[in-house]
Amino acid sequence: MSEPFDINRRAALARMGAGMGTLGLFNSLQAATGMAPHFAPRAKRVIHLFMNGGPFGPDFLDPKPALKKFEGQRPEGTDLRTERPTGGLLNAPYKYTRHGQSGLPVSELLPHTAKFADDLCVLRSVHTDNPNHGPALLLMNNGTMTPKVPSMGAWMSYGLGTENANLPAYIVLCPGRPVRFSILWNSAFLPSQHQGVYINHSKIAPKEMIPWLRNAKLDPTTQRKQLDLMQALNREHLAAQSGADNALQGRIEAMETAYRMQFAATDAFDIGKEPPKVREAYGKGHFANGCLLARRLSERGVRFIQVYYGNGQPWDTHSNHNKTTPTLAKNIDQPIAALLGDLKSRGLLEDTLIVWGGEFGRTPVSENGSGRDHNPHGFMMWLAGGGVKGGTTYGESDDFGFKAIHNRMHIHDLHATLLHLLGIDHERLTHRHAGRDYRLTDVHGHVAKEILA
Amino acid sequence: MTSLRLSILSFVGLLAGTQGVFPAEPSPEGIAFFEKKIRPVLVERCYKCHSANSEKLRGGLQLDTREGIRKGGGSGHAVVPKNLEQSLLVEAIRYEDEDTAMPPKEKLPASVIADFEKWIMMGAPDPRDGSAVAEKPNWEKSKNHWAFKLPEQPARPKVKDNNWVRSDIDRFVLAEMDKQSLKPVGEADRRTLIRRLFFDLNGVPPQPKEVEAFVADKDPKAFEKLVDRLLASESFGERWGRHWLDVARYAESSGKEANLTYPHAWRYRDYVIDSFNADKPYNQFIREQIAGDLMPARDNQHRAELMTATGFLAIGPKSHNENNRLQFAVDLADEQIETTSRAILGLTIACARCHDHKFDPIPQREYYALAGIFFNTETQFGTVQGPGNRRSTPLVNLPAEATKNPGEVLTVSTRARLEKMLVDSKKELEELTAQARKERASGSGDVQRTFQRARAVSGRVNSITEKLSGYTAAGKSIPRAMGVSDRGFVRETRLLERGEIQQPGEKVPRGFVSIVNPDFRASFHRSGSGRRQMAEWLVSPGNPLTSRVIVNRIWHHLFGQGLVRSMDNFGSTGQAPSHPELLDHLALQFVDQNWSVKGMVRQIVLSSTYRMASDYDSANYNADPENHYLWRVSKRRLDAESIRDSILSVSGLLKWDRPRSSAVAKAGNGQVGRSRNIQIRTLMAPTDYRSVFLPIVRDLVPASLDLFDYAEPSLVTGKRDVTTVPSQALYLMNDAFVIRAADSMARRLFDEAPSGEERVDFAFKLAYGRTPTTNEKEKARQFFNSYQSISDTNNPEGKYNRGSAWSSFCQALLCSAEFRYLD
Repeated sequence: MSEPFDINRRAALARMGAGMGTLGLFNSLQAATGMAPHFAPRAKRVIHLFMNGGPFGPDFLDPKPALKKFEGQRPEGTDLRTERPTGGLLNAPYKYTRHGQSGLPVSELLPHTAKFADDLCVLRSVHTDNPNHGPALLLMNNGTMTPKVPSMGAWMSYGLGTENANLPAYIVLCPGRPVRFSILWNSAFLPSQHQGVYINHSKIAPKEMIPWLRNAKLDPTTQRKQLDLMQALNREHLAAQSGADNALQGRIEAMETAYRMQFAATDAFDIGKEPPKVREAYGKGHFANGCLLARRLSERGVRFIQVYYGNGQPWDTHSNHNKTTPTLAKNIDQPIAALLGDLKSRGLLEDTLIVWGGEFGRTPVSENGSGRDHNPHGFMMWLAGGGVKGGTTYGESDDFGFKAIHNRMHIHDLHATLLHLLGIDHERLTHRHAGRDYRLTDVHGHVAKEILA
Repeated sequence: MTSLRLSILSFVGLLAGTQGVFPAEPSPEGIAFFEKKIRPVLVERCYKCHSANSEKLRGGLQLDTREGIRKGGGSGHAVVPKNLEQSLLVEAIRYEDEDTAMPPKEKLPASVIADFEKWIMMGAPDPRDGSAVAEKPNWEKSKNHWAFKLPEQPARPKVKDNNWVRSDIDRFVLAEMDKQSLKPVGEADRRTLIRRLFFDLNGVPPQPKEVEAFVADKDPKAFEKLVDRLLASESFGERWGRHWLDVARYAESSGKEANLTYPHAWRYRDYVIDSFNADKPYNQFIREQIAGDLMPARDNQHRAELMTATGFLAIGPKSHNENNRLQFAVDLADEQIETTSRAILGLTIACARCHDHKFDPIPQREYYALAGIFFNTETQFGTVQGPGNRRSTPLVNLPAEATKNPGEVLTVSTRARLEKMLVDSKKELEELTAQARKERASGSGDVQRTFQRARAVSGRVNSITEKLSGYTAAGKSIPRAMGVSDRGFVRETRLLERGEIQQPGEKVPRGFVSIVNPDFRASFHRSGSGRRQMAEWLVSPGNPLTSRVIVNRIWHHLFGQGLVRSMDNFGSTGQAPSHPELLDHLALQFVDQNWSVKGMVRQIVLSSTYRMASDYDSANYNADPENHYLWRVSKRRLDAESIRDSILSVSGLLKWDRPRSSAVAKAGNGQVGRSRNIQIRTLMAPTDYRSVFLPIVRDLVPASLDLFDYAEPSLVTGKRDVTTVPSQALYLMNDAFVIRAADSMARRLFDEAPSGEERVDFAFKLAYGRTPTTNEKEKARQFFNSYQSISDTNNPEGKYNRGSAWSSFCQALLCSAEFRYLD
């Protein structure tokens, strides 16, 4: 086992900027070990809770009393220009109270999450470039709206490798499909083992979640016989080659990994194995299941796990925003609290970074009377765990939560910061393609040093 | 959901980091302060090196525009309003760091530095307009780049061992090896050669009988005979046509958000396959794809062929929901330029859309000269208006009865079903419209939702109407294709500053990229787009790229690596050729021999170079581990199509004929996806045709292809990846298709071999083209024994039945490494 791993280590070092020339040699091998990062990592893995459709920050962690004060109005002198025609300001009628030692204001929509107020680092000044779902999803996931570049999870896998050879390094959980599909977790020109493995967890039996995980015909013992024959033939083939054939060795390993994954995945993805108490703590529903799966995967060393809230874009509340939001909030609050608590009690929260947010935010002014339109100018996200200052806020939006005005954090800055927490200098994690070096942050990105613990 | 917004906002976004999304107007006081205290200092002390008029722009920093001063140079923002710490200009003028201290000769007076600080804290009010002009790229070097010079016939080099040399190719390859002190490994054996030839030329493995016949053939011309037979096979076009479809980013849907089907795209696919089978001269092939509609035709059948060829320009990915007509047109032309230039010229001309090309000598102006040709072309991609689609066009009508493939037939029952669906849908639409009207008037109900439903039904009405319109009363398909045409008049083209439609600049007459083929002259007419002229520009003898790019592609497909490894980039950022003289020799010969692809393939595979084994040699390996100098033939993994086609072929399931159209054509117009009107499931119904005929829907490539590094159908792909991921193994171990094929292969063993031992032999011959070694026979025996012990219904010597050990045995062969790799 040790030899191919040494090769992988070299490959991993090569791609971290030690030298590009040798990279091609190792493309077909899966990096199986962690590698020396650019500097000491504060987080080893990331769980990204994706509120697809786009939530409105002032509903949760960015109180805006002016919304009530000017309800129904468009106060003179303020620029509230939105993409579609909108009316007056729509209040976010949720009561805020201060929580934890930090006194972080949390709205009544998140009673469970509020217990972890001292762990949350609320980003109130995130902004993105485009008010449409497709491009905004691309920017959030891939760092650009132009297809086709690698997703951030692919970059993380590429830069850091995997901690568990029996499972993919990057797993995407969605109970259905977000409106843009595999491009959101693609590896583009990076070797394809770094692409996200998409899993629809709307059915929670592992064999229904993961394609080809089960052989419809052969039981494991019989299949092991078949695999033994296949591997015997492969080794014969290898022996017949004169000289080194690392690639063939790698193929044999991949076959073994796949075989093991059938069982590793069966275990990793089986939330039925959790005690009833834990299941209860997370609660019911797709998002609860996704959070619990994320915990199981993170403790097994999966590098990057994305949990999409739901099929399509459930947070896209163009009408009846204040009717829908409490339901959405209810569906996420208990699972998130359970996830934070669970990770904490297992000692995993200190090196697991939680990211919460949508592809953009929503307008403070109303659309169709009761809805909110897309808003790329300023929105709220939060981080927790691995290396971030808990119980804090960063940046400010204007009085209505429309535009980011202070310590503005572009998606590129967010990406730079996430990579930084993982021990990666975003300017040095590059890959040469089509005649130039590509990176997740393109030519942008500033690390928000203020939020680092 | 409009890209107009997209482009405006992405533009705003670019500036967002420096001045906010909606910059406040600077106050009159602020402006006055700038004019009095700041501007004079900038002009006197900075502009010499940091302005548009500087002889050489230092550090990429331009201080004579607001954008320039905010953006800064190579090291970061010079001025960040209200942030002294992040404003590098402050650091520079304070002389904090020796390396960045500015101005270089003398520190500014303290009062002036204080003025700058004050100004920045005021928000850096700055009335200056205009954009920072990027540093002029330095093209002096790239103008002399090898690929921009015409190929020259090199002298035939001397080599040490003339016996090895079968042709000039070998002479060039061996001369390079001599220089590097490498020695070619020996020739591959016949079993290896026939397998290699079959996969390379036809994309399928040889049948055991063919292998044995070739091994036994005493004729000294046996190899040539085999090559000629494979070149003449219909499978040649299915294999080599697919290579072109990779660079033509062929697909049968729009991709992007809407992912609308292109039910007529398959005609272009068939055109490409037929062209390779007919050995159409490559220059002709290119002309037809750019301007077939403008070329004279011999008869109606030829006319149909020429029109279908222009599908090349129409099948690209598109944002059909784009609200802004102009933006759509500009993006469409850009995609056409990107594809044409990378596929045919190996150049990234589309990089010059927003600015002069950074590396290659391609001015932005010349991009727009080319774009003018496409702006004046009607691209006819079909599709119907409806949800997700604001942009549809008529298709190209092909002359009736003139197409080789008649297409689908509409049965009476299907017509009846569609017509009923149409009537029902129209009724539903009327009801929904009435309901919406009522809801709007009364303010009750959910108008938005009703409208959404109505839109979906309206889309369905359009789709069915379109589908029915594609057939004659007798149910025969009315042949239509995607393609392009001229509109009969020409509009002037303006350069777009930064590629933005809101910023039209100077007028640009139509023309070409001058670094390619600088002496080519064409006159453009007011009535035509200029595509005819463009086609000639691409293939005329003065073009140094077209012939080199295609012979390099051919070489790549036969050796797994190009002479130039950056297949689609021959520009100055691409890679230099490993054998520049050989490349030129082949390019010139290719043109000399009437641009014959089959001729070039034949010449290459007949060489000693191609016939080498893949053997290891430690001296060679240590000197050239990557086999740059071709001292052996590199092992290759089969591509996605070959893996699937091999599985079908050895199991006896493969349908060799060509389907009437494509699953996408049968599905008709609509959006692909779950809860959309075209279900993924129906498109992906199992089929045993060759892989080139599988439906190619962008973002939904069939798993059997996608898993094994299929070409991304939205991009020009000259070279596919080769990856090994666990999901490939899981697929091979567990997918229903592989299991079905293994069952069928087991049945075939029983049909063709009487005893257990013979069946094992035959299985190895099918899968690997050889008999098993003693060791392998032993492994097989052990397998059957152990299998028997776990399930006594499985008896290797007994009668075949489903699920038996034999099927499991066959699957092990299909999953093994040797099956997927080519020596």
